[in-house]
Amino acid sequence: MKTLKSLLYIVGLPVILLVLWYLATAFGEKNFFVPTPALLAETFVETWTWDRMTTDVFPSLVRLFWGILGSIVIGMVGGLLIGSVRWLRALLEPTMEFFRAIPPTVLIPVLMLLIGIGDDMKVAVIIAGAVWPILLNTIEGVRAMDEVLSDTTHTYGIKGFNRVRYLILPSAMPQIMAGIRQSLSIALILMVISEMFAASSGLGFTIVQFQRSFAIPEMWSGIVLLGIIGVLLSFVFQLVERVVLRWYHGLREIENAA
Amino acid sequence: MQPDPHSAAGDHRAAGIPASEPTIPTQEGTEDMTPDQISTEGTVSSQGGVAETPDGLLTVGKTLPDGEAMLAVRNLKKVYHTDGGDIEAVRNLTFDLPQGQLACLVGPSGSGKTTLLKCISGLLAPTAGEVTLHGKKVTGPPKSMAVVFQEYGRSLFPWMRVRDNVELPLKNQGVDKAKRDELVDNALEAVGLAHVPKSYPWQLSGGMQQRVAIARAVAYQPEVLLMDEPFAAVDAQTRADLEDLVRSVWKQLGVSVLFVTHDIDESVYLGERVIILSSSPTVIQQDVLIDLPEERDQLETRSSQRFSELRHHVYEQIQLAKKGFRPEDALAK
Repeated sequence: MKTLKSLLYIVGLPVILLVLWYLATAFGEKNFFVPTPALLAETFVETWTWDRMTTDVFPSLVRLFWGILGSIVIGMVGGLLIGSVRWLRALLEPTMEFFRAIPPTVLIPVLMLLIGIGDDMKVAVIIAGAVWPILLNTIEGVRAMDEVLSDTTHTYGIKGFNRVRYLILPSAMPQIMAGIRQSLSIALILMVISEMFAASSGLGFTIVQFQRSFAIPEMWSGIVLLGIIGVLLSFVFQLVERVVLRWYHGLREIENAA
Repeated sequence: MQPDPHSAAGDHRAAGIPASEPTIPTQEGTEDMTPDQISTEGTVSSQGGVAETPDGLLTVGKTLPDGEAMLAVRNLKKVYHTDGGDIEAVRNLTFDLPQGQLACLVGPSGSGKTTLLKCISGLLAPTAGEVTLHGKKVTGPPKSMAVVFQEYGRSLFPWMRVRDNVELPLKNQGVDKAKRDELVDNALEAVGLAHVPKSYPWQLSGGMQQRVAIARAVAYQPEVLLMDEPFAAVDAQTRADLEDLVRSVWKQLGVSVLFVTHDIDESVYLGERVIILSSSPTVIQQDVLIDLPEERDQLETRSSQRFSELRHHVYEQIQLAKKGFRPEDALAK
């Protein structure tokens, strides 16, 4: 009963939107740019065949994966360093604000010149945008270290790598996960955008191709696919977060109950 | 040079000396200066003395000849430099902690107790003076010292289960697995928590969390155990249990314990000695010997005549400190 209820909550809004869309397209005025749900579904199945998956979707996802992984590694390692070393923070923080303000999309031509038009460039574009939330959240998480916990590890002589592993990293983890969550959607957007320039494959490239050749239902089906990827990404993230931050959610629940 | 204070007191009482008379026969220290404010009920022996320090003539705690003390605090001073000017939290503290003693530090709120403890544990560098452990100057947290903080909720790692929390300092030291398991099991057993190793600390009550913190300190096998108002945040009934726990752990392990508290009853009940601190800037006001029987019991001990005498005395001293009484001013007179 309970699962049924939560299932209804999940599909409720999508169903309502689909019905509205159906009513508007089937009974309203015909519009070349907006297909009916049935046509879109048909086109979706026809367009995203296994062939297309291997030539366009999977390469995109691989680039997305490397971009996210690169952002997490660079963001966390950099954040741990900048967060714990005071002079490094003083040195880098103003400059970081400058680079953070640059939209990664304007870097695409520059990166094309510097590292070519291959996958490296696309991964670099994703990292250039997605690294920031992770980096800044990690810095904040490290800085917000509880003083008593920090004193405790000092009195027990826990330092160096053990301090990072047992104290700094876990205590910053709630913030780091919040950063990763933001980065995921940025990475997806940048994956599409990076493929719109000088690319010959990929989701972004395909969608732009459809758009330019007025294959309107096909274009919409690509957008739907992007949405599905976004939902799956967030689903995977939630699974990971539930395991990594189990202690944190438990702690919060008890604090809120008290 | 010190007459036996107990027999002397007995005489006074027997002779029916009126309350206004100076009846505390301690040889030195602060009582002489404020005779009218001192209890006349029992007598309390002050173990401290007076010494010439860099900060002038001051009362100091009991000290031992060089090299005999386990933990020695000498002319410890801590001044915080802030934008609003310097704040002298601790002016001058001198006392020794012999091997295996349980000493309580009690003082009015804001008397720099936590500052003192942080200096002793090597977390804060003193402005002047020094702390030595086995004759070696403390410059960082020493290996043979463990600290139990007041904020149990913030001193345990919330991402680790109870057992992992207790085990971590040992793991960090590279103690092998078999030895580690043994130490952790024994420590959890000693604090009565053998049944919850798999819980997270935040799933436990406050008193139990503080037990975990004590177990962690016990498993670490320190020579000196510092406790910074460890029971200030637990309820009264739990507190009584934890006090007895500290006494039993102390006896079992033979560690030296320095127990900081603002609770006068607690300090008298627990300690073999109560060091009374003045209000800030802190100096030692008195170093009182607690001559209660070795075996303490929440009911018997607390209702005994001697307990109430000692409690009365410490309470009066704390009241004096709160009113801004300065031991050094009294000495200067």
